Amino acid sequence: METLWWLMLALGGAVFLLFLGLLLRGLARGPAGRASERNWLVGGGLVMPLVVITVVLGFTLVAMARLANAPTEDQLIVEVDGHQWWWEVRYPDLGVVTANEIHLPVERPILLRVRSVDVIHSFWIPSLAGKIDLLPDKTNTMSFSASEPGTYRGVCAEFCGLQHAKMRLTAFVTSEEEFDEWARQQAQPATVEASRGGELFLSAACPDCHTVRGTPADGSNGPDLTHLASRTTLAAGTLPNSTEDLSAWVRNPHEFKEGVEMEAAELSEADLADLIAYLESLQ
Amino acid sequence: MSDRIPELGDHYPTAATVVTDPILDDLWDDPPGLWGKLKAVQNDAIGKRLILTGFFFLILGGSVDSVVMRMQLAFPNNTLVSAQTYSELFTNHGSVTMFLVILPIFEGFAILMLPLLLGAREMPFPRLGAYSYFTFLMGGLLYYSGTLFSAVPDAGWFAYTPLSGPNFSPDLAIDVWVLGLGVAEVGAIAAAIEIIIGIMKVRAPGMTLARMPLFAWAMLVTAFMILFAFTPLIIGSLLLELDRGFGTQFFNPEAGGSSLLWQHLFWIFGHPEVYIQFLPATGIVSMVIPVFVRRRMVGYPWIVASLVAIGFLSFGLWAHHMFAAGLAPIVLGFFAAASMAIAIPAGIQIFAWVATIWEGKPVWKTPFLFVLGFLFLFVLGGITGVMVASVPFDLQAHDSYFVVAHLHYVLIGGVAFPIFAGVYHWLPKYTGKLLNERLGKWNFWLLFIGVNVTFFPMHIVGLMGMPRRIYTYPEGLGWETYNLISTIGVFIIVAGIAVFIWNLAYSLRRGEVAGNNPWGGDTLEWAVSSPPLQHSWSVPPIVESRHPLWDQTELHRGEDERLVRALSEWPLRWRAALVTGTATGRPEEIFRVANPSIWPFVAAVGTVVIFAAELFKVRWGAFVGAAIVVVGVVLWNRPQTAPITEQEEVEFEERHGIPVRVGGSLQVAKWGMGLIVLFVAIAFASLLLSYFYLMIENPDWPPAGMVLPGLGLPSLAVGLVVISGIAISRARAAMRGDSRAGLLSGAAVATLLMVGAGVVQSSQLGALAFDSKTDAYGSIFYTLAGFILVVAGAAVIMGLLTIYWTWRGEYTARRHAPVDNVVRFWLTAVVVWAIGFGVLYLTPYLT
Repeated sequence: METLWWLMLALGGAVFLLFLGLLLRGLARGPAGRASERNWLVGGGLVMPLVVITVVLGFTLVAMARLANAPTEDQLIVEVDGHQWWWEVRYPDLGVVTANEIHLPVERPILLRVRSVDVIHSFWIPSLAGKIDLLPDKTNTMSFSASEPGTYRGVCAEFCGLQHAKMRLTAFVTSEEEFDEWARQQAQPATVEASRGGELFLSAACPDCHTVRGTPADGSNGPDLTHLASRTTLAAGTLPNSTEDLSAWVRNPHEFKEGVEMEAAELSEADLADLIAYLESLQ
Repeated sequence: MSDRIPELGDHYPTAATVVTDPILDDLWDDPPGLWGKLKAVQNDAIGKRLILTGFFFLILGGSVDSVVMRMQLAFPNNTLVSAQTYSELFTNHGSVTMFLVILPIFEGFAILMLPLLLGAREMPFPRLGAYSYFTFLMGGLLYYSGTLFSAVPDAGWFAYTPLSGPNFSPDLAIDVWVLGLGVAEVGAIAAAIEIIIGIMKVRAPGMTLARMPLFAWAMLVTAFMILFAFTPLIIGSLLLELDRGFGTQFFNPEAGGSSLLWQHLFWIFGHPEVYIQFLPATGIVSMVIPVFVRRRMVGYPWIVASLVAIGFLSFGLWAHHMFAAGLAPIVLGFFAAASMAIAIPAGIQIFAWVATIWEGKPVWKTPFLFVLGFLFLFVLGGITGVMVASVPFDLQAHDSYFVVAHLHYVLIGGVAFPIFAGVYHWLPKYTGKLLNERLGKWNFWLLFIGVNVTFFPMHIVGLMGMPRRIYTYPEGLGWETYNLISTIGVFIIVAGIAVFIWNLAYSLRRGEVAGNNPWGGDTLEWAVSSPPLQHSWSVPPIVESRHPLWDQTELHRGEDERLVRALSEWPLRWRAALVTGTATGRPEEIFRVANPSIWPFVAAVGTVVIFAAELFKVRWGAFVGAAIVVVGVVLWNRPQTAPITEQEEVEFEERHGIPVRVGGSLQVAKWGMGLIVLFVAIAFASLLLSYFYLMIENPDWPPAGMVLPGLGLPSLAVGLVVISGIAISRARAAMRGDSRAGLLSGAAVATLLMVGAGVVQSSQLGALAFDSKTDAYGSIFYTLAGFILVVAGAAVIMGLLTIYWTWRGEYTARRHAPVDNVVRFWLTAVVVWAIGFGVLYLTPYLT
């Protein structure tokens, strides 16, 4: 991919400079005799593009073959569902469900299986891999691996409605050990003690859409909140996951992301504080 | 003929004027007043209207929208407009520029200029031209009417399903998009038919295909592409509207529909659409360069071959818009190769232009500057085009600002700059005044700098990962500077356009008088006065060269001299025009061009009523609209009183060796019907493609447990239809034998049989156990069956009219062009019915 890009840039640049040189020279000099059709049209118009595109196509096909990795023994399967406007991320072999962030062990082959529950989205983490569309009627797959540990930004690349711009995700590429630790922790149900906030959560409309594993809340229209507090952002990268932002979001999500399905909570300040305290306990 | 090219101040041949000019003016002018404007059919009027309306929509949708979008994106987290408004802005910007700006401007250029360029008096179907303008205008207005009731389309100019479907876009906004633009698409196809026949059949004597100006070649290929590309889009739009308005399931994955079917239908249109916009621009460039470097175009046959090759290739690369959609790798490889291959014909054209410049000595006038700007920007855009054709790279660049940069280099550099070149080049021909050169240079430099400042940074920010169609972006990603630069650039573009408008206004009043041939041009339009006469040529020219004004000293000398002069004398004191051989340019026929009429306007109103009835869910209105269309079309095609007798026709033919047909040209009529048949065939093929696509996508086809429709009644119906085809063929044979009774009875029998078949078929459709709403199978079954019945219904209407007009005695062995056409359409309906029967009733048994 890298090679392909630099090759295309070099060839494209060379072709452009050649064209520009010929044009400027042609403009600057006086009228000349007949230009040879063979040199200009066959040489410049036919042979040159043919050579350039043959080379580019060759490298393209090689790069495509590399992208289409055969399944390997140790590949990690990650399932991503697109929703208007957030991502559900599942690791079916590890029992992990999360949202809007994807954790990947470095250098491990990843098999991504993507699908949409509503309209077409496109999964894109520019620094890790190309795009793959999330369709409502077909599961698409993409194989890739991340070579450098770090935090990477991802977005939805296919216009999917009002808040397409705020359908972001974050990828965390970590060592194999860190990943295992993260996955082990995420696979656990929520460990929460009885609290007023927890009761409020269950008695309000929250469980209609959200799941907190280990509690009766098992809705599926919204992100799984079992380990909400371990995540770095809210609402698919709309806000940082801080106490103030979380309570502002719960008070009125539409202020930050107009059009989302979640409704504004009509709670007293005290109730809201208890609810937020509960949500922040979901480590 | 010498190789020397005359200098600017030299003498150029001019068109002959004749004493009968004022009489011809009366014959060819449109009537005065508002009513007269609605009746107008002259190519001058229609062409100018198309261009001006296109520019109007450009300012409205192209410019205002883009400025607001750039202001919103100037800073991260900006809140100038809401998410909803931003979605509406980019949807509108794309839709308007792709459907309502560039295409009508070029069709307008073609309709306005082709008769002058080709040495003809008028386009062959002026009433069709008028119809195309009114449908385009009303479609545009219907589209914009959404703003009046807050239903502004917001699903992108590509309107991907299921986002654009009834579940996710329940309000009227997408209906406005589908239906408003649908009307405009009908207009685009009508104009394309007019343009093809104009170029093929209505040229000056001696203008062989090999002597045709390159702009005509470009428009010929473009017009065919419009027919092949817009028809699948109309079918796709029909299916989408059926889903939205009638509960069918074409694009609903939960009921056997496919989310990607729309993308295929849309991009089969959408990619050729790019070249539909680009080819006429190359035509302009190939006309302007020779004039401003004082050299003949190098490699004329190469350019023609490139145009044709681009026309074909452009239909083989639609899926490069779908590289991320999960298609099979082999498919991706094919489309990548096809997409890159288009660099070859594009490269040939570019090198032909550079070689011509190389041979000549530039004259630094504004049209030439715009051509140079075009070359610079277009080559850059073409190189990034090859890059995005490479699948692995495209998986990064796709739907990022890199593509926004690429497409604007191609569309502004490759299309808008040649339009400006064309306007500076040809406007003086129509206003009689040259545009101001100093303002022209400001215009050019502001636009050239503005375009680069706006769009170059988008390459970089795209590679940095900025996706398209986002109304806001967070700070700290390094995108801020590039976005701000782009926003500044757009204001430079606005300044450039303002200078252009000022130049128009200034030069119309104070411009230098242009004279016939201000640039020392080589093609025919420069031989007539500026502005030209309504009928373009009192005496059509006789062409002996590709560059008649450089190579010929006389424009009316040659073996056809008597014939072309006779065109302005008795007995042809009516709207007479010459039909010439497609390849040879030899005179074949003289026919009467239709005169101004209100009926094209009426038919256009009917067309818009059909679409508006669906938009506002007043369903019976569609029948009213259809009735108006039928009445309008029938009345605009009704036989007219002949200005001369058959005897006079024969006398003229004996004297000049060319038949005169007041009752309609056989040649032109044949081409007209041929293209309508082609349109029906493409529409039908698009539906069949949808049928088989859905069949392949669905493992159970027809759905499990469904009772297959019985074969008895449909077999009876298809039998009746085939016999009706035999009957109508016999009617034609009878007409040629001058047997009116035979024509009458044959047409009557055929019509009865077709009606009978329709009744039989409909009775079965009404009794089936499934309907169009249960699943995609039912949806496509009924839609295909409906299409077949509509085509048959059109044949029946033609049959009834044939009976009526035969009974009235309109047709004779000599004047019968319409009957031949009815037979051609009829046989098309028979074939469509037979194939449809096979697909609907027999394919389920194949699997």
